[in-house]
Amino acid sequence: MSPLLIAQIGLTLFVFVMLLSSAAVMVYVERKVAALLQQRLGPYLVGPKGLLQPLADVIKLMFKEELRPRAADALLFALAPIISATCAFAAFAVVPFGASTTFFGLLKIPLRLQVADVNVAILVIFAIASMSVYGIVLAGWSSNSKYSLLGGLRSSAQMISYELSYGLALAAVLLVSNSLSVTEIVNSQAGSWWHVIPRWSVFLQPVGFLIYMTAGIAETNRAPFDFPEAEQELVAGYHTEYSSMSFAMFFLAEYINMVTVSAVATDLFLGGWHGPFLPESLGWIWFLVKVGALLFFYVWMRWTLPRYRYDQLMRFGWKVLLPLSVVNLLVTAAGVLYFGL
Amino acid sequence: MTGSPMLFYLFAAVAVGASLLVIAQRNPVYSVLLLIGSFGALSGLYVLLDAPFVAVIQIIVYAGAIMVLFLFVVMLLNAPHEDTDYDSHVHPLLRPGPMRFGAALALAFGVELVWALTRAGQSGAFAGGAVSSVAQIGHALFTDYAFPFEVTSILILVAMMGAVVLARRD
Amino acid sequence: MVALNHYLVLSAILFAIGTAGVFVRRNLITILLSIEIMLNAVNLTFVAFGRALGSADGQIIVFFVMTVAAAEAAVGLAIVITLFRHKESLNPDSFTLLKW
Repeated sequence: MSPLLIAQIGLTLFVFVMLLSSAAVMVYVERKVAALLQQRLGPYLVGPKGLLQPLADVIKLMFKEELRPRAADALLFALAPIISATCAFAAFAVVPFGASTTFFGLLKIPLRLQVADVNVAILVIFAIASMSVYGIVLAGWSSNSKYSLLGGLRSSAQMISYELSYGLALAAVLLVSNSLSVTEIVNSQAGSWWHVIPRWSVFLQPVGFLIYMTAGIAETNRAPFDFPEAEQELVAGYHTEYSSMSFAMFFLAEYINMVTVSAVATDLFLGGWHGPFLPESLGWIWFLVKVGALLFFYVWMRWTLPRYRYDQLMRFGWKVLLPLSVVNLLVTAAGVLYFGL
Repeated sequence: MTGSPMLFYLFAAVAVGASLLVIAQRNPVYSVLLLIGSFGALSGLYVLLDAPFVAVIQIIVYAGAIMVLFLFVVMLLNAPHEDTDYDSHVHPLLRPGPMRFGAALALAFGVELVWALTRAGQSGAFAGGAVSSVAQIGHALFTDYAFPFEVTSILILVAMMGAVVLARRD
Repeated sequence: MVALNHYLVLSAILFAIGTAGVFVRRNLITILLSIEIMLNAVNLTFVAFGRALGSADGQIIVFFVMTVAAAEAAVGLAIVITLFRHKESLNPDSFTLLKW
């Protein structure tokens, strides 16, 4: 086996493990930030400052009994969390998270810090994001419980509605950076204007960035758009009937989806691994900082904003966000045509 | 990539098997899911045909949007099973009367197509130049096919209005 | 070596399966799904021919077919919902009256 292939396999495993541990870290961060915003202490018993709390949670979930309602559709009930988790992991495959590196001269050909380089990468991300709805819908349907079914129905309607704005926001970025490959889009954002403002797409696409983040929050079913699980109305929505590790898989999928949406936002809008002070080989530090900031924003949103009403969500998606993203796309297209970016 | 027989036969088997199960399945939810599997296999075939753009929009449009719509309606109506007289004891593919005739007709049609195609001789080894870049497709779409493309938007508008009018409760 | 003929034969088989579905099944949703199978079989033919001729036209036609399929699914499902509201049934044989 060539060293490059070994490095590629190693990188794939590394990304897998990092995504798993990012979910664990996010559980801890979520609880700590929630505590901060509610003037509590949060977890502090397990390990120093409660750092081992996610581990304790995982152990607890593993020892729980795996329950299944008698009227549930056994096959789909088992399949749904697997679909959710698989889609969450798969979407990250085409997201680059650093410049090419030779690992300090170990490799002859520089390796891209990315699992797979596809020339239609953005469309692939979009495709996998659109597949992840099935996990939730099937969980809702196969549980054969009214709360789950309502959660699943809401989820499918919500995802279809917000996917349009999500896609149009992505299309506007494509127009600005003139490529479908995420690596090229990131590289088109290197440097700065007048040595002050970094050349990030977010400054060309402020509205697009807002639309992307809003639709991203809706796509990942996070508060204030967490209708599929809306605990005050639907018990726990689509995963009401799930327990033990299959519940943990939904949980995992939610956090990994958050990480993926943040990573894609970083790559497309915030210049990816480009930033001042650090050499390009250490660009992944910038990448982590930016993703971390976006993830903090996610958690902050959840514990600050109340949930919308369902009709408000639909009205907002179709009557505000979608027209706004269409106008944004038109203005961007006109700008690209006029200024020849 | 067109010459990799293993992958071709794998995807072809999945596509045919899943499609067969789609029409043999009593529960529409399973039918929809199997059809998604079939679309996934077709998407793989498009990759083998050097058409990554079609492969991806196959997943986005068919699997990600149209099938979600189907699944949504199946769940909304919550009427999973066919309600014919012989639903409970006879498998849908083995029903008597005109349906058996229809199945025979479809089978004859398929055999005829395959026969004609295999009689046509061993033509059509794939040539060199494949159009796989999205830019080329986009260029053709907005120059040579600009008019059909614009007509498409009207088609979608009409479909949207039709769907809203039809499904509205009055 | 996989040649154009392989793809065409596969497409013919898929098309026949779709046809059989329309004939055999008595459930409006499954019939619509069978139509989708047929459309996809045709798409495969277009892409295969486009690849064989080295032109982009095949893929563009697929783009249009997908648009038509999306429109067809939206309107078709709306009709299915309306029919279901009238008769509580998805069997096409129960919609035999012209006016109800």
